[in-house]
Amino acid sequence: MKRRTILAIAGLFAFGLGGAGPAHAADIKIGAQVPTSGSEAPYGIDMLNAIRMAADQINAKGGLLGEKISILPGDSACDPQAAVNAASKLVSENITGVVGGYCSGATLPTLKVYGDAHVPFVITASNSTELIGANPGNAFMINSTGFDQVKTAVALFKAKGIKTLSIINEGDAYSANLAQLTRKAWEKMGNKVVDYEVVSKGQQDFSPVVTRIRERHPDAVFWTAYYADGALLIKQLRQGGYTGMIALGDGNNSPKLFQLAGAAAEGVYCFSNPTANFLPAAKTFIADYQKQFHQPPGPYSALSYDGMMLMAHAIKVAGSTDKMKIIAALKATHAFPGIAGPISFTKENTLARSNFVVLLGKGGQWTLYTGPGAPAAP
Amino acid sequence: MSAGGGGAGEAAVGVQRSERSIRKGAGMALLLLVLLLVPRFANNYYLEVLSEAWLYVLLCLGLNIVVGFAGLLDLGYAAFFAVGAYTAGIVTIRLGQSFWLSLPIAVVTATLAGVIIGGPTLRLRSDYLAIVTLGFGEMVRITVRNLAITGGASGLVGIERPHLFGYALHSIGAFYYVFLLLAVLGIVASHRLENSRIGRAWKYVRSDEDAARAMGINHAAVKLAAYALGAIFAAIGGCFYATKMTAISPETFTFNQSLLILLGVVLGGRGKIPGVILGALVIVIFPELFRDVGSMRMLVFAVSLLLIMLFRPAGIWPERWR
Repeated sequence: MKRRTILAIAGLFAFGLGGAGPAHAADIKIGAQVPTSGSEAPYGIDMLNAIRMAADQINAKGGLLGEKISILPGDSACDPQAAVNAASKLVSENITGVVGGYCSGATLPTLKVYGDAHVPFVITASNSTELIGANPGNAFMINSTGFDQVKTAVALFKAKGIKTLSIINEGDAYSANLAQLTRKAWEKMGNKVVDYEVVSKGQQDFSPVVTRIRERHPDAVFWTAYYADGALLIKQLRQGGYTGMIALGDGNNSPKLFQLAGAAAEGVYCFSNPTANFLPAAKTFIADYQKQFHQPPGPYSALSYDGMMLMAHAIKVAGSTDKMKIIAALKATHAFPGIAGPISFTKENTLARSNFVVLLGKGGQWTLYTGPGAPAAP
Repeated sequence: MSAGGGGAGEAAVGVQRSERSIRKGAGMALLLLVLLLVPRFANNYYLEVLSEAWLYVLLCLGLNIVVGFAGLLDLGYAAFFAVGAYTAGIVTIRLGQSFWLSLPIAVVTATLAGVIIGGPTLRLRSDYLAIVTLGFGEMVRITVRNLAITGGASGLVGIERPHLFGYALHSIGAFYYVFLLLAVLGIVASHRLENSRIGRAWKYVRSDEDAARAMGINHAAVKLAAYALGAIFAAIGGCFYATKMTAISPETFTFNQSLLILLGVVLGGRGKIPGVILGALVIVIFPELFRDVGSMRMLVFAVSLLLIMLFRPAGIWPERWR
């Protein structure tokens, strides 16, 4: 009995330690901080794939500064402590830079870890406005922040003649931030938020919310959290007889939403950063991605690909792996041609333009909405 | 850590005993020396993980007072952790006071919270008690998520790093020592409590509450003391967690957090201090060991927990019932 236990534990340890092969010492090591476990893992793996693909393409063309890029994944699990552990591990492995960052709440405490080590960090998904103030100067956000999303949302509501709004979030830093900003902007325009709800992550039964919404019958419902729970909410709202407009935040741009919500997702709007299938410049990117991973790219794949390419560009401009020089090169980025549009930074290291688009659920998938209230193309 | 208690009369036994306790003491001292020297050799990643491990040693020992010693199932322990963390956040950010002031305040608020949860549940046992504590844990989390003073859903950002004798606690190396010290204090306190009058009373109430009451043990006071002391352990851990992370949000104090700490206690062997320490180390270090496995990490972790529970149903290092 005892020996078996010891054997079992020893076996586990051996399995744990003997996992992935280490990177070659001479490589330029780039960390990929994304969630590869937990509820957000599908998004994280989409991002990791795109970062890997970018690195592979650079390596195939002879690498960077004569060396190969190797990608070290760091699982943030969408949790602050796990993210700090992952970040510290990446720093201890002497990475030259980090690309990624998903779940603003988990990205926030890692800013200091990378900041203390002066590691350049290109944030490709997290876009809570909390990140701006906490940035020690080494992080660069290539995804538009919540401010831009609110502008897009409010413009669409106005064009659609919406007067009363219900806003539902999950109480995490990202979805609550977006909900609060929307409420502020909406009420400032003299409109009403008749219902403001905070639900729990992973909640299965939204019937209290649906009942309240039917009572107060807002013109539109705005869900600011992620797609897995959002799909259930849409389904239950439509089953409950709600016929008004439903709009979703940028965490809902996933084909999986249609698998989960079915016909209820038809006619639903979604604000999103530009995903590959709506970008004219991304045709080859989609084909390459499909070929390498046998699935279509995810919502943050295009931005993550851009993030890796931008990092490589900055290393090339810096001419060395000197981190301070790379940070300076990132700061000086001007109209870098990403597949999601040109990248330049504001003084606060955020993307200098809004990259949000409006999507419409049609025929079991997201399509680009170009009707009244849609933002102008970049 | 039995004191060299051999009387002069039983010379042979006494010598043997004191020899063993000397050897044990020497082993402990050596282990402590090694742990103190770790920051000289280890990189930041190892220090980060070990600091987290020491924090969970403290948390698990605190919960062990409630679950292990007093035998009260608690599914909302993360609430006390949250009380400590938010006390530190509010004292430093909202009130602009020194971090050190938050420690005594956290002790007071945690005691209050412990009595608030302990009071109404005195008459509840087993599953009923578990459900009430679960509800309490969720109440605290949802309250801090909706109050303005706790920063709502975004939590509190920008908690000051404390100074000690003019030296700023800033690097992970410094926090390693802080958490190691907390863990050691937690171990010593647990030991003293276990072997004290109240420790014996806890075990008596755990074994047979009615018999204990018949023998004149004030079961209400004893149970409340268990909740309050357990809460204080968590609150002090929470204060230092808040200042280390510099940002706290309600997401950290979910039911999963309570469950993880309970897992550490049950996995290690509830009621047995070395067992609980081992359990805490397992729940922190195993997921990190499996980091290289990639996306299968949590699956491997879960399987390893299942294996441990299959082969060691009473915990890795269970308590011997006397």
